[in-house]
Amino acid sequence: MRRRQQQQQQQRQQQQQQQQQQRRGRSLSGAVGALCRALPPRARPAPDTLRCARFDRPQASLDFWRLLYALLKQIHGRKWTESDAIDNQIRFVKAALWYYGYDRPELYRLPSDGSAGSRELLLAFSWLLHRISLLEQLLARNRVKTGDETSVCTCEDGLPNSLKGTTEKAPEHGLEGGVDVRYLQWLNGRLRFQWRSLHAQHEEQCKLLHKIHLFTSGSHVDQILGHFSVTETDLVRQPENYKQLLQLLESETMQLEAFLEWKQLEPVYWQWMETVLDNMAEEGNTCESQDARVEGSGLPKVASCCPWADSLTGQIDKLSRDLTTLREQLHKLTTRRKAAWCEKVKTREEELQKEGFSATARKIQESVELKLLDLTYLCAPPQKRMHGSHRLVFRNKHPASKMGFGRSVSKEPVSAVSATEVIRELQMTEASLERELKQLQEECRQRLDEVAEGLDGVICISP
Amino acid sequence: MLVSAAGPGPALAPRAPSAALLRVRGPWCRRGGRLCSPAVCSRRGSRARRCPAMLALLLCFSPPRSSKEEEQLQPEAGSSNGQENKPSPKELEELELLNRALEKVLKVRKSILKTPLEAQGATGEKSAGEGPAPKNAEKQQVPVPVEDVPMSTKVRAVSKRPASLKKPSPYQLKAPYRTDPEVKKLQRKALSRCVSRGPRTAGKSSSKGVVCKQRRSPTRAVSASDREVCAPAEPQKAPGSSRSALNAQQSFSIEDSVGEKNSVAAGRQLLDAGKKSCGFLGESSKKENPTAEGALGRSTSPRRVTLQEKGCQLKLPLPYRKAYFRNSRAWERCRLCQTSADAAAARNRFIERIQTTFCSPRPAFSPAEVEEELKVLQDVLSLLSQYMEAEFADHPTLQREYESLLTLEGLQTTVSQCLRKLQLLQAGVEAQRRLHPDCAVDGGSCFPACVPSRGQMCDTAGMLAVPLLCYSSFQELRDLFALKLQVSMLHQEIALQKVMMAELLPVLEAWPCPEASAVQLYRAVYTQLCEGGKRFPVLMRDELAD
Repeated sequence: MRRRQQQQQQQRQQQQQQQQQQRRGRSLSGAVGALCRALPPRARPAPDTLRCARFDRPQASLDFWRLLYALLKQIHGRKWTESDAIDNQIRFVKAALWYYGYDRPELYRLPSDGSAGSRELLLAFSWLLHRISLLEQLLARNRVKTGDETSVCTCEDGLPNSLKGTTEKAPEHGLEGGVDVRYLQWLNGRLRFQWRSLHAQHEEQCKLLHKIHLFTSGSHVDQILGHFSVTETDLVRQPENYKQLLQLLESETMQLEAFLEWKQLEPVYWQWMETVLDNMAEEGNTCESQDARVEGSGLPKVASCCPWADSLTGQIDKLSRDLTTLREQLHKLTTRRKAAWCEKVKTREEELQKEGFSATARKIQESVELKLLDLTYLCAPPQKRMHGSHRLVFRNKHPASKMGFGRSVSKEPVSAVSATEVIRELQMTEASLERELKQLQEECRQRLDEVAEGLDGVICISP
Repeated sequence: MLVSAAGPGPALAPRAPSAALLRVRGPWCRRGGRLCSPAVCSRRGSRARRCPAMLALLLCFSPPRSSKEEEQLQPEAGSSNGQENKPSPKELEELELLNRALEKVLKVRKSILKTPLEAQGATGEKSAGEGPAPKNAEKQQVPVPVEDVPMSTKVRAVSKRPASLKKPSPYQLKAPYRTDPEVKKLQRKALSRCVSRGPRTAGKSSSKGVVCKQRRSPTRAVSASDREVCAPAEPQKAPGSSRSALNAQQSFSIEDSVGEKNSVAAGRQLLDAGKKSCGFLGESSKKENPTAEGALGRSTSPRRVTLQEKGCQLKLPLPYRKAYFRNSRAWERCRLCQTSADAAAARNRFIERIQTTFCSPRPAFSPAEVEEELKVLQDVLSLLSQYMEAEFADHPTLQREYESLLTLEGLQTTVSQCLRKLQLLQAGVEAQRRLHPDCAVDGGSCFPACVPSRGQMCDTAGMLAVPLLCYSSFQELRDLFALKLQVSMLHQEIALQKVMMAELLPVLEAWPCPEASAVQLYRAVYTQLCEGGKRFPVLMRDELAD
């Protein structure tokens, strides 16, 4: 009797386990499928690739490298060419993973023809999912733009990085016989003219944009936006031109729904990834002794040149120089002020005590601490900075006017940045850039003055 | 004795030996060109393309069921790069009709304004209005200002360039009439608005024209000529459509020439721009609808409605509305969706386990973190400098002085903290250098400039929220755009400055034997490097009077 009960129990347990496995299997395939569908259409893997990778099948490696390349390039926002050779792609992916702090040596040892290592890539992919919120970033970056977009940061403007490459290559293409300096002057003038006309065009565009926003206020179904953008206005006139936009919107909606599905099934995926680690740990035990020898000659080799480290060391040096100068200036100023203060206070000590200066002093201390809190807050990341392209929305500040509407501040599902903030930041950036430019010009002036002394019989009077 | 006066560079052709000295060796121009072209051109192109489209929207907002002729209103100014066709008699007829329309418009305008430009413009316009015969005159007149332009810009340019500017061929009805239907439609509509618009705008445009005319400086010359060219045929400032379209064309022609470093091409392009603009304006009278009455008849019909009138009643088409709704609801759900506790736990377990397999000891900062911290420190530095400068002022009261003292001390502590942090970062960089995978990737291409910080990446809900930039007035929008351009321009100027310093200064400093003409080179370099090419130093010969 008992044995039958036990048997029954065992059977039930087995059934349950089987069911669980089936369920897990189904939910795993659901999770993997949802994950794949939540990735952008240009870089969407087949769920099979991930499954093959889990078993370290070499045929999935190439696809996985390409997948990682496509995804990372989209995040980095630069133009990406699918026609890049596979070893370039691999190098890029390795460098990007290193950049984000993925320090698993096995990945960097993978061959650069993409023939092996799909399991390692799967691990790296999963790590990226978490570390840089890969899905969310991709969704945010590839958002279908139906509005008038403008970027709120000037990150892409800093050219110096891209210049470095050209400075190294340039000396080979020296022009024969040199170039007339007046050509340089002429080019410079033309450049300035182009900037000016660009300014004019921007103003023009600004005006028209504002008009369109103003005139269509109140028409949009979306209360938060309130008015149409140029695209939407044109859409009203000629809907047949915008079929592609509609398709994009639809496909994005499907992607978002896949994302929601993924969020539900996430635990299954992470558990699955843990099993991958388990497997690797088992395998690793058997060939650990081999690795130990290889490890010695493995990763920590002193790289001959690391351009990133050089450039950052340069930046750090510059910053530390600036900080040191600032410190000296502060020191001088403080000692001077302190001395003056002591002088003043010496003579009036009793007087101050009577006035109850110590109480005021404490209050002043508190207020100063508050003032400097900004700085300490800044020093401790994370700090929220605005990035990327935003949709321009016109919000009239006077809700009384016919076209304006009251701002519902309560539950706005938007990260609305106000133009005043952006303007303020831009003004600060502008000021610091102008200071930098003036510094450079000053340096040139000094050096040219020295040259001038060498010129016989000529005095240079600067304007 | 003054050797040379301040002013635009020497336009005299120097003699051969000194000419050689004025040459500067170096590939900088290539680099400079690289710096110039992408940034400016891409912007100009995209901006230019959008302006006319927006204008079309503003001006003539007819309901979608209107004819197919409204299709493809996105004017591709780029495609208009000059196909010179001989005008047909039909086109001439239409031009005549245009001229008559213009006559009427001018009468209205003249009755209001009495500015000098009007006289000038009017002569051009009147001649335009007097029928086919003076048409040539108009076109003759128009290219003249354009001709002047290349000349004046050339004054500053290298005059000893071998190739010289081509004189524009006289306009014997060979004007490059553009047959772009899109552009025609734009202009036709613009014209239709012209007639119904009040004289107010006429005043504006002419006064603008005055301003431009009076300031005949070389750099302004081209835009001035644009306006002049505008003036005869488009007296009303039909919301600057012609001008912007002109700008569009002009920008495209200049865009092409930026790629070439040749001054000759540039001059010719300016000319072509002028030519095109002529043709463009002549084009404006064309009707693509062969059956309609005169262009005049059409233009006065009040069938078109502006966006201004209908704007607030517009409705998006149903399929788009549905798609938009679904899309924004999906976004909202994604934004509010939170990672379940199970998922978070499972994920963290995985991450911890995999990070134990990372090589140890792990560096304190990943490269991304190093860069991020560095940016933060740079911000702190600028803030510190600002605070310090605020404390330079003298303080009247004792309390203020005490406060200032405390502030300064606080700043000092912060600076020391920053320096310590910097040391840590430097150590981190060194650690990473050791770990650097052997893949020499060009630093610039790999590492992103515009990537959200670590903090932002944790805030996924924030990432998925609708990104909006709200402005509250036209002024704000304008300031925003202007400042962004200004910042880009400054970035470029700084980069150029560095390049020029690296190239030009060594040339001067290594000068073996200064000669008389070296002075000119010195002056040019001084201007370029120290004054941004805008002002010139005065060089005086140091001779004692006997």
